[in-house]
Amino acid sequence: MAARNHDQWMATPPLQKGEWIDSRVYTDYQIFEEENEKIFKNAWVPVCHESELSKPYDFRTTSIAREPIIVCRGPDNQVRAFLNVCPHRGMMIERRPSGSFFEGQPSGNPKRMTCMFHGWQFDMKGSCVYVSREKEGYQDRLCKDDVGLRRLRCEVKFGGFVWVNLNDKAPDLESWAGKPFECLRKSLEAEPLEVFHYHKAIVDTNYKLWHDTNCEFYHDFMHYHNRVTGFNDAYFARKNEAFDNGHIVVGTFEVNYDKYEGFESRASLSFPHLPPNQWYMIDLFPGINFNLRGSALRCDVVTPLGPNKTMIEFRGLGLKSDSKEDRMTRINHHNSIWGPFGRNLHEDLIGVQGQGNTMMPGTEPRRVLHGRQENQTIHDENGMRHYYDEWGKWLNRLPSSPDKPYAAASAVTAAE
Amino acid sequence: MSTCETVRDAIYQATALLDDQKWNDWLSMCDESFQYSITSWSPEINYNMTYLAASKKDMHHLVDLLPKHNTDHSPLHRHTSVYSVTPSDDGKTAKAVSSVLIFQNMLDGTNSHIDAGESRLFLIGRYIDTLQVEDGKATFLSRELKLDNRRLDKGSHWPL
Ligand code: FES
Ligand SMILES: [Fe+2]
Repeated sequence: MAARNHDQWMATPPLQKGEWIDSRVYTDYQIFEEENEKIFKNAWVPVCHESELSKPYDFRTTSIAREPIIVCRGPDNQVRAFLNVCPHRGMMIERRPSGSFFEGQPSGNPKRMTCMFHGWQFDMKGSCVYVSREKEGYQDRLCKDDVGLRRLRCEVKFGGFVWVNLNDKAPDLESWAGKPFECLRKSLEAEPLEVFHYHKAIVDTNYKLWHDTNCEFYHDFMHYHNRVTGFNDAYFARKNEAFDNGHIVVGTFEVNYDKYEGFESRASLSFPHLPPNQWYMIDLFPGINFNLRGSALRCDVVTPLGPNKTMIEFRGLGLKSDSKEDRMTRINHHNSIWGPFGRNLHEDLIGVQGQGNTMMPGTEPRRVLHGRQENQTIHDENGMRHYYDEWGKWLNRLPSSPDKPYAAASAVTAAE
Repeated sequence: MSTCETVRDAIYQATALLDDQKWNDWLSMCDESFQYSITSWSPEINYNMTYLAASKKDMHHLVDLLPKHNTDHSPLHRHTSVYSVTPSDDGKTAKAVSSVLIFQNMLDGTNSHIDAGESRLFLIGRYIDTLQVEDGKATFLSRELKLDNRRLDKGSHWPL
């Protein structure tokens, strides 16, 4: 068909319901706020890895949906999470990205979380243990027991990631994501893992566009590396499997890494229980990705900063038991395509930035097609269809017409 | 010219070649045993990270395959200041530490109608170089670019 006029451009595409969505899901400020409130404040997010706080009194700070969070390891080796908010006048208790409470701080004692502002102190279980001039100011009206920190749901799971959920009543993590993790559970839990890579990107695009890119492999056409190391019969037979709660898993095949000039097979450093050069991908709702390519694990976590602004944190992991030499090889494998100076990640980020340019707040609402049907194999777009069906339920909005309630839609992709 | 001056000149010449995207000319200033790396200390994960590690052969593969890849073509402009040059006792090699700021002159990486032509600070760090000095000529044996950034946005396909 020739280029289209405006009416033709805006017309409903000749596809089934659920096979396209409206770009307002990526551009609307109200939807962004609702996503924070209804989705991110109720979903499990792997905010860091336990190797980032390896010793008692180590901590990491982070946030979900603007709520500041602190994760710390107690003297009992338990990892706990709290709102990083002082119950007195709302100061952020800890400002550093990471560190240890083992040593004292200018305002406080060793082994305590201390709010620098007025010196209130908390132990690693979040109990308030010191209020400066407590009796003088509060007499018997308020005591330390009344001003403990806000404890958050926290589980260390699926390879040692530290998962936090802001909703006290959310289902447990196993029932939320246990099934999609089944394909990698043995590999991730055979022995402790360690993070060797961290960097972040802030991109002018919607977080779902990043997650979409992690959920669809049709864009392997963009990656020279994936074309030469991947495109064969086994690749095109890979399955895209949908799981409850909007998660998907992309099944494995054997990648020929040495087909890219200068790159090597990853067979000698496969993760435990993993046949050589396999590649699994787990995409969790609403924007978390676990990607295991033979010798290295990658995990992406999105933090939406606006309808058109997203922070993505990238981690790379190997086995804690790695020799120095093996670790370096794993790091090189990770970096070759996934590092900030690697071949694929740069291309993926340019891709979603390009989408962010055409879909920013105020741009015309238009169709985004998710209509490829290929028997739920690698270039089928059932992963995205499954995601947006779930998204519609959480927000009670129809992805193809987000000002209408979801209720109208039948379970389009349920069979997938 | 003194060893220090020779080394300093080589670092500035390398900067100019990299700015001009003359990758092979830059690599010809490097010994066959050349090792290149981009590293950064992460307080987040408490780890000395390697973002890229490559031999001279790896770097040749990397630049040879650039035309096959989709890349942000915004030119990079490095501002290098050599802070110290320390010759070895036998005078055959020298270690140099330079401060480097890398600006990105926006072209096609974001929204070109809005951003193209603007220069943004992209990365800051230090070059830690080892050079061989022979007959008044300096050759790079290794270069470590130790970045302060862990926020790298879209990153880059290019040697830095
Ligand atoms: S705000 Fe924390 S002690 Fe006052
Ligand atoms: Fe990709």
